[in-house]
Amino acid sequence: MSSETGLHRRAFLYQTASGLGSVALSALLHRAEARAGVLSPKPPHHPAKAKACIFLLMEGGPSHIDTFDPKPKLAQLHMTEFTRKSKFASAMESGKRYFVQSPFGFRKAGQSGADVCEHFAHLAECADDICFYRGAVGENTNHPTALYLLNTGNAFGGDPAAGAWIAYGLGTENENLPAFVVLPESHYPQGGATNWSNGFLPAHYQGTVLRPSGSPILDMTPPPGVTPEAQRAGLDVLQKLNGMHQRQHPEFAELPARIESYELAFRMQAEMPGVIDIHRESESVKHLYGIGEPETDAVARRCLMARRLVQHGVRFVQVYAGGWDSHDYIEEAHRNRMRAVDKPVSGLIKDLKRMGLLDSTLVVWAGEFGRSPDNGVRRGSKVWGRDHNATAMPMWFAGGGVRAGHTAGATDEIGQKAVEAVHPMRDVHATILYLLGLDDAKLTYFHGGRFKQLTQIGGQVIRELVS
Amino acid sequence: MDTTIERRFARSLALSGGALSSYGREAVRLAAIAILPLVVASAGAQTARQILTENCASCHGAAQKLSGLDLTSREAMLHGGNRGPAVVPGEASKSLLIAAIERKGPLKMPPGQALAAAAVAALREWIDTGAPWEAAAAAAQPKWKSNAEDVWAFQPLRQPGKLRSVDAFIEAKLREKGLTAAPPADRRTLLRRATFDLTGLPPTPEEVEAFLKDQSGDAYEKMIDRLLASPRYGERWGRHWLDVVRYADSDGYSNDFERPNAWRYRDYVIHALNRDKPYDRFILEQLAGDELYPGNPEALIATGFLRMGPWEHTAMSVAAVTRQMFLDDVTHSTVTAFLGLTMGCARCHDHKFDPLPTRDYYRLQATFASTEYATHKLPFQSWENRTGFDRELARSQELLRLTRERMAALDDKIRQELAKKLGLEAAKLPADEVKEALRSKELLSHDDHARYNAYNKRRDIYQRAVERYQPLVYGVRDGAPVETHILTGGDLKAPAEEVSPGMLTAVRYQSEVPVEVGGRRAALARWIASPDHPLTARVMVNRIWQGHFGRGVVATSNNFGKMGKRPTHPELLDFLARAFIESGWSIKAMHRMIMRSDAYRRAATATDAEKLAKLDPENQYLSYFPPRRLSAEELRDAVLAVSGELSSDAGGPGTFPEVNEDLANQPRLIMGQFAPAYRPSPLRRERNRRSVYTFQQRTVRDPMLEVFNGPDLNESCERREASTVPTQVFALFNSKFARDSALAFAQRVENLASGRAKQVEQAYRLAMQRLPAQEELKLMLDYIARAEEHHRRVAPPPVKPRVPLVRSLVHEFSGKAFTLEEEPEPAAYEENTAPAQVPPATRALADALLLLFNANEFVYVF
Repeated sequence: MSSETGLHRRAFLYQTASGLGSVALSALLHRAEARAGVLSPKPPHHPAKAKACIFLLMEGGPSHIDTFDPKPKLAQLHMTEFTRKSKFASAMESGKRYFVQSPFGFRKAGQSGADVCEHFAHLAECADDICFYRGAVGENTNHPTALYLLNTGNAFGGDPAAGAWIAYGLGTENENLPAFVVLPESHYPQGGATNWSNGFLPAHYQGTVLRPSGSPILDMTPPPGVTPEAQRAGLDVLQKLNGMHQRQHPEFAELPARIESYELAFRMQAEMPGVIDIHRESESVKHLYGIGEPETDAVARRCLMARRLVQHGVRFVQVYAGGWDSHDYIEEAHRNRMRAVDKPVSGLIKDLKRMGLLDSTLVVWAGEFGRSPDNGVRRGSKVWGRDHNATAMPMWFAGGGVRAGHTAGATDEIGQKAVEAVHPMRDVHATILYLLGLDDAKLTYFHGGRFKQLTQIGGQVIRELVS
Repeated sequence: MDTTIERRFARSLALSGGALSSYGREAVRLAAIAILPLVVASAGAQTARQILTENCASCHGAAQKLSGLDLTSREAMLHGGNRGPAVVPGEASKSLLIAAIERKGPLKMPPGQALAAAAVAALREWIDTGAPWEAAAAAAQPKWKSNAEDVWAFQPLRQPGKLRSVDAFIEAKLREKGLTAAPPADRRTLLRRATFDLTGLPPTPEEVEAFLKDQSGDAYEKMIDRLLASPRYGERWGRHWLDVVRYADSDGYSNDFERPNAWRYRDYVIHALNRDKPYDRFILEQLAGDELYPGNPEALIATGFLRMGPWEHTAMSVAAVTRQMFLDDVTHSTVTAFLGLTMGCARCHDHKFDPLPTRDYYRLQATFASTEYATHKLPFQSWENRTGFDRELARSQELLRLTRERMAALDDKIRQELAKKLGLEAAKLPADEVKEALRSKELLSHDDHARYNAYNKRRDIYQRAVERYQPLVYGVRDGAPVETHILTGGDLKAPAEEVSPGMLTAVRYQSEVPVEVGGRRAALARWIASPDHPLTARVMVNRIWQGHFGRGVVATSNNFGKMGKRPTHPELLDFLARAFIESGWSIKAMHRMIMRSDAYRRAATATDAEKLAKLDPENQYLSYFPPRRLSAEELRDAVLAVSGELSSDAGGPGTFPEVNEDLANQPRLIMGQFAPAYRPSPLRRERNRRSVYTFQQRTVRDPMLEVFNGPDLNESCERREASTVPTQVFALFNSKFARDSALAFAQRVENLASGRAKQVEQAYRLAMQRLPAQEELKLMLDYIARAEEHHRRVAPPPVKPRVPLVRSLVHEFSGKAFTLEEEPEPAAYEENTAPAQVPPATRALADALLLLFNANEFVYVF
């Protein structure tokens, strides 16, 4: 059948195992292979620069102008008014507007002299490990569609997230844990779970949300009053009942797979709490991330958890840090958000480096879009703030294979749009895949009449970002 | 601020400002979509084309052509505008375009801000290298040569041949492949198979007994007829159709607002299937019920089909883009649902594999060009269920009232602050200052301001909840005529040639489309719902076949094109399609024909596994019946049915089952605001309705449905997957839903029988339609005894009282967290029975019965 459609063996396996209900599957394949799970590690397409990825998603759209891309020109234009009228402008972008300068100071950080906002004091110490990128552009200025584009390559949602593609391409090194883990804020982002969907890929590749409170995975913890021993006793009886049933249908491979899934769930339930228990870390490590400090604690916990997950073999971890949607009062709001992520994120880089994991881990920092150099006149008054901007955004990379200590791309003199090393989101995706040893053109899945890929129509690796 | 912008947007459209009524909101939507279609983000053409498109084409495109200049095709650029040619290939310095964008001469373009230096350089280089434009030109001027002859599905149905029954085709193929058919299934297996298949529920012990006892020759046929006549039939098969059309009760995207009256479309589908509405009529009503059958209530409700896709327009959206998204969505979903073709590719370029040129895509789209969203008033029909409307309406109204009260309290706070600030008594404040203070909210703390905005959003949300119970239809109407242009590369900023409405040219059978607005959809619907259309009947009988066997004769039921799977039994497919048309498009007639076949009645056991592994590893030729895992809805419904908790209430607005509490209370962001916490329905019978009647929210899924491969609500689901993942174990073994159901199940069998052994037997009859084997009975009894010992020692957790929920969110004003308290539940909440309320013996029995829900035998149909 593979000659008929060109499907490779793995895709075929998934499709049969996931639905065609083939009685003879086990005869066709070694039973061990059918059971070993679709998540077992797979070789990359080319030697990988990084084995795992931690994607720090600054939800809400952080301003490039106020973080890593200063625009002195805006000081001259500050508060000057203009009017935008266009059939292709949203209500938000239209009408009376005025330019806004950044309320923050900047410093030249590291040997590379990267531009870093004063409120990223700790991150400045990591500047030489980072490749700042100013050329990325999106397509949408709506939060969920822009998030979908950043996460799945498709602004309309419904396609697999990058983490799902990578799990599909590389599997996981620890089968007792999910391959793709999401650490959201206490709230879900706009657009909800579609942001970590497996789309048309088999459900194994869906992002597993680790919840900040309560049971880390939904219903993973047995209900109150149920001990692991009691649960094991029940499970043993269940497996005996299943065994008797299976004897009547010996060729049907889905039955043993389902029996095995109960054992896997039981192992996951036992292992996961230890993996994410950050109390096992030393005080100095916790301090490095800013755990225990009110300003940074929440993001710090997720960053440290991300490191622990990667350390235990999880392939792709996404950390959300929200609150960047500063239409008004950007001085207070962005300052607080920068401070909330500064120590945790730089702590993560330093910690990975300390443990020798930075070379094999790709760290990405990005929001769904950047912000505008101008703001709308709202309620008749001029407040320092910025609206959404998909044509320029802040983004940086650190770790395996990244051209550290470099700033790539540029925006125009007011930060309205990217003008150098300009690349659409699909190229960012192709680059992330490349660094993880995957070839965008080869990482495909046959669905809906064609071979689909993360970049939709094919992306190119952004060479400026790669060492 | 988002809400402010929505208001401002409404005002800019000269509509009611302030508190928008739901009709006001609808008007905003209408105004937004009525604007001429034009833009969608560029799909990645060359840099030059992208620069020109983004910066120039809105004035210098085929539509506007300011100064006579069109910059959307090479030919037009060479021809130029009033000032002469814009581009001289190979000579950037002599090209007027470059002079204008470099702003060195009198002509300075674009007006306002100059192009970035990099963009100017890119255009220079492009002209110097000869200004190539092929890729774009190809899309603008389709030169498609139809090769419909090559695609089997576009050929007319075959004339009937020698073979005249389902089995004749199946057996011919088995013989051809050298395969042996499995023996017939036993009666109990057949009953379970047919009952789940037609109703999505397990047979009751009484039904099992009656069928096993019935010795008449037509016992099987009678059983099928009984199931087809059950109202549960439409609930199961309606779900198949709802998968295809992506039915949801919410908009998706940012706000994911409720669609308060979408449920009437869901009930229409269920009702249509129960009444065996002829499928051709079903098509006509959904595509053009308003045009074809004015005054017919069902036909009006049916047009909800056209609006089933995710859709949203906010202040962040460009109106023209939103409108185009609808047009693309409806074009694609119509073609996918009724014709089994994928057409998304043709939006930007001619389909690479199927005879679907871009021109056809836009011709088809033109049939929807004047279709506008509309909310119609329509009294509830006799077949619609209004039970509990007063009760539920009062509850939603109370939530709305509470929210308004909270907003009013904050307004009072503003007045007090103002009084303090001005040193005046509250009663003597100047009216204009009060007005300004209430508008700006600047006298509120950041936290209170954020809360005000959150309440404001909740008011919108609860208003929609109130609207669920109003006699309104979520439908469409024909509006003013609107031109349709081919969009170069799918890009709204690059409209090319105008097209008139038309059908797919690859289909030999054509029909006339009126140019008048009021009959375009009717013409399209008639063309699709015709016995002469090669795809329509084939696609539907294939969906029916797939419903019975888990896989269609064409395995890709949404893709009959070249890249879809070839039919395993092409002649059978045509035989079924002809029979379907001849039966008057009766779906129930198809069920009878298929289910009466030997192929359907075979055992689910392969006779020769090794031979099959070589000759038919996927069981495409059906030598045995393919077993399947229950779908997500069947599994949830079966758990409820067996435990005695399943409500027989049918129809009406979606209800809210209990979901994991952490998930219910999970803060969720919608346009910078908190969404209200998930609120389960207060009454058990409402919570425990069949899954098809539960509220389908696009961005929050019931985990019980999600983990068992429930459909994605944004994309047409052609066929359910059945993957096995550990989160399913958590949902079925640990969740409160599973545990509560097991407890209810235990109480049920305790009421039905006394003595442990009899109770276990009763449970097996209900769950497995058989008595337990000796070995099973012993296992269960031993386990119950041990569990009881455990429960006598260990007290269950006490029942938690319900307390008002307080949650926090980082708000955009300060980047810091604020807290918000949920509105208390207005209605009395009917709790499920808790372990603490039953004796240890019942808890022990429940532990054992929970295992039955998890058993492979329960979860699979053979």
